[in-house]
Amino acid sequence: MPALQRDTGWGPMQAYFEAARAAHAALSQAGFPVELHQPNLPVFAAEGEAKELAAAHKEGKHLWRGDAYVQLADRGRIVGLCRFLRDQLAYQQIIDVTAVDHAAEDKELWGMYAFLSLTTKLRLSVKTMIPKDDCRIDSIVPVYPGANWHERETAEFYGITYTGHPDPRHMLLPDDWVGNPLRKDYKFPEEYHGISCV
Amino acid sequence: MGALSQKFEDNVLTTKVDWLLNWARLSSIWPMTFGLACCAIEMMAVGGPRFDIDRFGAGAFRATPRQADLMIVAGTVNFKMGERVKRLYDQMPNPKYVIAMGACATGGGPYYKFGYTVMKGVDRIVPVDVYVAGCPPRPEALLEGLMLLQQKIRRQKVVRVPKVAEIPSTPSIA
Amino acid sequence: MERAAPSPGLLQPGQREIELDVRTQDVEINMGPQHPSTHGVLRVLIRADGEIVTAAQSHLGYLHRCAEKIGENVDWLQYLPYTDRYDYLAAMNNNLGYSLAVEKLLGIEVPPRGQYLRTLIVELNRIASHLIAFGTYGLDIGAFTPFFYAFRERELLLDIFEKICGARLTYSFIRPGGVFNDAPPGWLQHVEDFCRQFEKKWPEYWDLLVENKIFIERTANVGIIPRDLAIAWGCTGPMLRGSGVDWDLRRDQPYLVYDRLEFKVITGVGYRGTVGDCFDRNYVRMLEMVESLKMVRQCLDQMPEGEVSHPDVGLIIRPAPGEAYVGIENPRGELGHYVVSDGSKIARRVRVRAPSFCNLSLVEHIMPGTMLADAVAIIGATDIVIGETDR
Ligand code: SF4
Repeated sequence: MPALQRDTGWGPMQAYFEAARAAHAALSQAGFPVELHQPNLPVFAAEGEAKELAAAHKEGKHLWRGDAYVQLADRGRIVGLCRFLRDQLAYQQIIDVTAVDHAAEDKELWGMYAFLSLTTKLRLSVKTMIPKDDCRIDSIVPVYPGANWHERETAEFYGITYTGHPDPRHMLLPDDWVGNPLRKDYKFPEEYHGISCV
Repeated sequence: MGALSQKFEDNVLTTKVDWLLNWARLSSIWPMTFGLACCAIEMMAVGGPRFDIDRFGAGAFRATPRQADLMIVAGTVNFKMGERVKRLYDQMPNPKYVIAMGACATGGGPYYKFGYTVMKGVDRIVPVDVYVAGCPPRPEALLEGLMLLQQKIRRQKVVRVPKVAEIPSTPSIA
Repeated sequence: MERAAPSPGLLQPGQREIELDVRTQDVEINMGPQHPSTHGVLRVLIRADGEIVTAAQSHLGYLHRCAEKIGENVDWLQYLPYTDRYDYLAAMNNNLGYSLAVEKLLGIEVPPRGQYLRTLIVELNRIASHLIAFGTYGLDIGAFTPFFYAFRERELLLDIFEKICGARLTYSFIRPGGVFNDAPPGWLQHVEDFCRQFEKKWPEYWDLLVENKIFIERTANVGIIPRDLAIAWGCTGPMLRGSGVDWDLRRDQPYLVYDRLEFKVITGVGYRGTVGDCFDRNYVRMLEMVESLKMVRQCLDQMPEGEVSHPDVGLIIRPAPGEAYVGIENPRGELGHYVVSDGSKIARRVRVRAPSFCNLSLVEHIMPGTMLADAVAIIGATDIVIGETDR
């Protein structure tokens, strides 16, 4: 549907972009291994590329679009990063902690964190990769207590272990539930406690 | 009815007694306050001023299953909740009735295909007397379900011996 | 005989002064999932020492309906009805949140009339939702009448919704690309009539519940959430504003046409007690109804003519690969949709950041130390919708 690819609606993304760029600069100065990911849209591109990108968008070529985010290369430093964000960059609120499984064959999950600052009115999302065969990451509850339930939920949906979580019980599923429903390779159960599921 | 229940032949007297008992039962059905999901809001609306379930004698929502005659399963039942629904049903005194309100309670509704935790119909755990269709059913539909249940109660044999063919008696829209 | 006041230093941590003639014992009380006053199927396990709650733990999942998994299995548009069903008291708001997220991926903007219609109907839905909150909160506290009052007015609102989209509860009216249809003839007049009527009724509610002595006694100074705690736990919406934090997404990160409307952000002021108590949370909701009404009026005045939907969005939507997060101000707080697309007609991930879920997570931490009867007041003031906490 190439007709949809018109140059409107970038407004809301702009705010994300500014926030991500500022946070990226501050974080890399503080020594965190972070990369900035930004959507390849003409409005965000460097001067030389803008025309090419605009042409590609016109043709309906699929380019990555959406919010800019900061990617953390070393997932072991997530707690330090959160502390930095809270104390230095005034991101007081944790909005969301979740994960994304892109495909069953993928080796990694995306760990996704979303922050909100009530003073600067900016939003920031931070990503980090969590390998599926070593599916653990430090819990950020000591920094943001609000992440408590989000982490419990993500843990049972994706099978991620949040090390150091104060209360690692099941959140929504029954305690004896088998499998992690939001993984792409999840098989729907046939029966539960003798009640058939189909 | 204890010692008298289902002991007598059909005759003028027992028919009248049954009629009286059934009339008493059907005009004061006490439902249990038991909202599960979206349909519960429509159930509340039925209790509200515009639809006013009190007109049918069923407005005394009881908070405890011990005092209730009717369980309106208003909403999605999942496996975690299913065990509780069964337990609540077991606690209700006889005679007890169940209305499955909405598509979810009837058969899984919109969650039929991909809802891995959703029970595909509450009739898998408790017997259902009346199914009310809709997602959510309009309050009028729930009221119609209630009237169907009353019809069903009207035909029950309390002191008379039921004929084998008559169990269970199915209500019809008459 | 004069008794020296007990000095707090003499008590060991965790020990309270108790009257000696009342023996108390720890009991565990299981509230829910079927409980007359919890909103839906919430289960709270409370440990109480006599009348005083010492610990509380919420158990969720009695209404888990797999909305996020469904999002990965059905079309972009087919998912819309499921958004109705997680916060079923404010279905329009949910539709809006999801539609805005998809529109952000599509990179389109809805025509002005569509935007105004959306704003108008979302604010009407906010009133409807707050009415339920107000009515059921009265019910929780022990007042039966507000419930009937609230439902009377809510029915008028549902008539309005029914007239424009045909449904009373699950609307699917706001959809990616715009709204389902334009307002039918006479509909805007109907809304105006409602505004006039509601304006007269609102002071009744205020007198009936908010200025009621018993209500004040039961909610003021109960379940106080300090400002910092509310922020740290990710509370949003009336829960955050009740604690005196001046934050409203409609003003601070405006979407739709909110930047063209004039309204006040209501924050808790400790009208009858301390800032951040249950009374304040209810107070915020009550006054927000008035603000919403103001916004509805302004939308009616400014309503432009023209298209209501983007012409290019059909039934099959294929957003470009990418991801978007959109947070909007739901009646209960920030409703966030995080969607990831791979360019096909089915989403990779639809994440719902549910406001009730985050607000509820704090509740078990403010309960210890309160009286058992206040537990209900605290849960009620949170105004949760279980469909949303469990999704
Ligand atoms: S039938 Fe529809 S309205 Fe009723 S509980 Fe199920 S999804 Fe909700």
